[in-house]
Amino acid sequence: MQTPVFLDHLPDISTVTGRKPERYRLTRNKALSELLLDDTAHWHERSNCPACGGSIAKSRNFSRAYLPFQRCGGCNSIYAARVPAQQELDRLRLEQTAVKDPEAEQDREFEFISLLNWISLTEARSGCRLERVLDYRFCSQAPGFEEATGRLSHNRDWQFLPLESAADGGIGKLTRSLRDLAPKAVLVQAEMDRVADPAQLLRTLRENVAEGTIVFIGTSCSDGLEYEILGVDSPSFIPLDRLNIFSVKGFELLAQSLGYTVLEASTPGRRDAVLLEQYFNSAENAKIPFWSSFFQDADKDRLRDLQILLQRSLKSGVMRFVLKT
Amino acid sequence: MTLRTAIIGYGKMGRIRHAAMEKHGGFKVVAACDSQPDPTAAIPVVTDPLAVYDYNPDVIVCSVPNMMIPDVVCEALTRGKHVFSEKPPGRNSGDVRRMRQAEAQNPSLVLKFGFNHRMHDAIEEAKKLTDAGTMGDLYFMRGVYGKAGGPGYAQNWRNDPTQSGGGILIDQGIHMLDLFQMFAGRFTEVQSFIQRNFWTEVPVEDNAFALMKNPEGIIASVHSSATQWQHTFRFELYMRNGFISVDGILSASGSYGTEVLTVALNRLDRGGNPIPNPECQEIRFTEDLSWDKEAAEFYEAIANGTPIRSGTSAQALEVMELVEAIYAADPEWHAQLQRQSVTAAE
Repeated sequence: MQTPVFLDHLPDISTVTGRKPERYRLTRNKALSELLLDDTAHWHERSNCPACGGSIAKSRNFSRAYLPFQRCGGCNSIYAARVPAQQELDRLRLEQTAVKDPEAEQDREFEFISLLNWISLTEARSGCRLERVLDYRFCSQAPGFEEATGRLSHNRDWQFLPLESAADGGIGKLTRSLRDLAPKAVLVQAEMDRVADPAQLLRTLRENVAEGTIVFIGTSCSDGLEYEILGVDSPSFIPLDRLNIFSVKGFELLAQSLGYTVLEASTPGRRDAVLLEQYFNSAENAKIPFWSSFFQDADKDRLRDLQILLQRSLKSGVMRFVLKT
Repeated sequence: MTLRTAIIGYGKMGRIRHAAMEKHGGFKVVAACDSQPDPTAAIPVVTDPLAVYDYNPDVIVCSVPNMMIPDVVCEALTRGKHVFSEKPPGRNSGDVRRMRQAEAQNPSLVLKFGFNHRMHDAIEEAKKLTDAGTMGDLYFMRGVYGKAGGPGYAQNWRNDPTQSGGGILIDQGIHMLDLFQMFAGRFTEVQSFIQRNFWTEVPVEDNAFALMKNPEGIIASVHSSATQWQHTFRFELYMRNGFISVDGILSASGSYGTEVLTVALNRLDRGGNPIPNPECQEIRFTEDLSWDKEAAEFYEAIANGTPIRSGTSAQALEVMELVEAIYAADPEWHAQLQRQSVTAAE
């Protein structure tokens, strides 16, 4: 298994903590509150870690926005102890995307290029020609992505399966699409942490594609320093979008248990350092030995060096996996 | 199929080859030869190179100083033995031609030279990336390979041209030249500067700078140095769509650092122009598997007739001719070499 490091500029902190992300966070938390108060909503109680299967009894519990969470004592994954039905989650996301501020999408070009280059370089290294790729729902999360693939991803046929409202949470449509399109690769970006049943999603993919199909996963990572230090205080910890925050080990175990071969794991997150710097420079935050002074004195070089170290150590807050069926 | 193996030259390299062959499992090392007997060795160590043939080997591993390589290789081939020889393949292209002649007279035998850098993981990854076409046409390559000459440098046989054929370029820089040819084929135009800066009492270079071009217009530049006080390996490839670099090379000494492959595809603006400083992917390799892969390739060639890809005698000849072209391209250095050879003849 290879563990590449993705080196790039540090992001502007306002993309995480500015007014627009804050508005998004409040909207999502309002939707969660309404769901929690809805007596007709269906919830599934979890008794095991969705990654490694470890018992909930061996986990540490906490809550965010009145939703109970667990941190697995076995694999360090973070997961909601109860999750809404997938169709509820999809309905709320559709409502959210319908009112999304178009300015919030204005400059994700580098993110899209990073994804497309990741696929291209994986294709070159693996020797598997990935001429047909199915995107599962990222086009709904990032509306500019479809246009970007047309412009930037040459010699590759992209198919898109957007977020839709369906009684089965979209599994039937996904199954049919996989069988009809027979993709050589599937992109599951920013989805695994939002689904009610990640194992079901991975199983559906595995069972409906040809052997040798490559699955690209991008999701949040509980091993990230951001989550290790800030936990629920991290500005990216929005409960409805973080029902499953896998650890590297946890996701690897899950993928292998479902019959995948793990080709690559990485944590290309770039925000840990800038988020922590902002946190420790806020006057109201408590002192933590070493880290407080580390971040209070940090300049850009130190933050960049730390972020690279975190990536090299598989300790940043976002992870990518390349799986092969 | 177990190949009975004898190692001629049982120093550092010979013992590395011994370990790799034992690990492979298809070889049984039955004897070795060195200038001094080694009573602690697990195998018989003789001092007469011809004595190893008493152990009826199928394979000869040749890990001797450069000037002895042609004799050892030709003798082995003539006796019907497969041969694995260290690089450099002798002292000059004449030595390689002599070995190729012996090889041609024994076409059923395998002759492989140990250009192991081709088989380092980072280099193999780089080759996969370029071969896939994703990176686009190759424009140019740069290579720096250098070390601090170290204690005993002036006394080492490697710096006696009658034994080695040259200095740092033929000893270490040859690996970089071999990699250039692996990626771009043969170079036909060469410019160079050869210097002797620090170890002025030895008659070989401690620095070589060369600029070369192949018939397709691909340019490569190399700096091979014995005064690169910080041990350095850096190999860069620049292509239409991005670049690849390999920093560090896993070695027996470990002094060249971890092997790090960096690859980047350009980010284009909406006008199609590359934006500076693209995102890079960095992959680190921490285990040197090149010795094992060389042993495996050599075994497959003998046991199953699989053609040798890395370290053929044709590649050895091409790289040795390139070394000679670099020495010859610096007029001052070339004149010095001429004077030395006249003096030696007198």
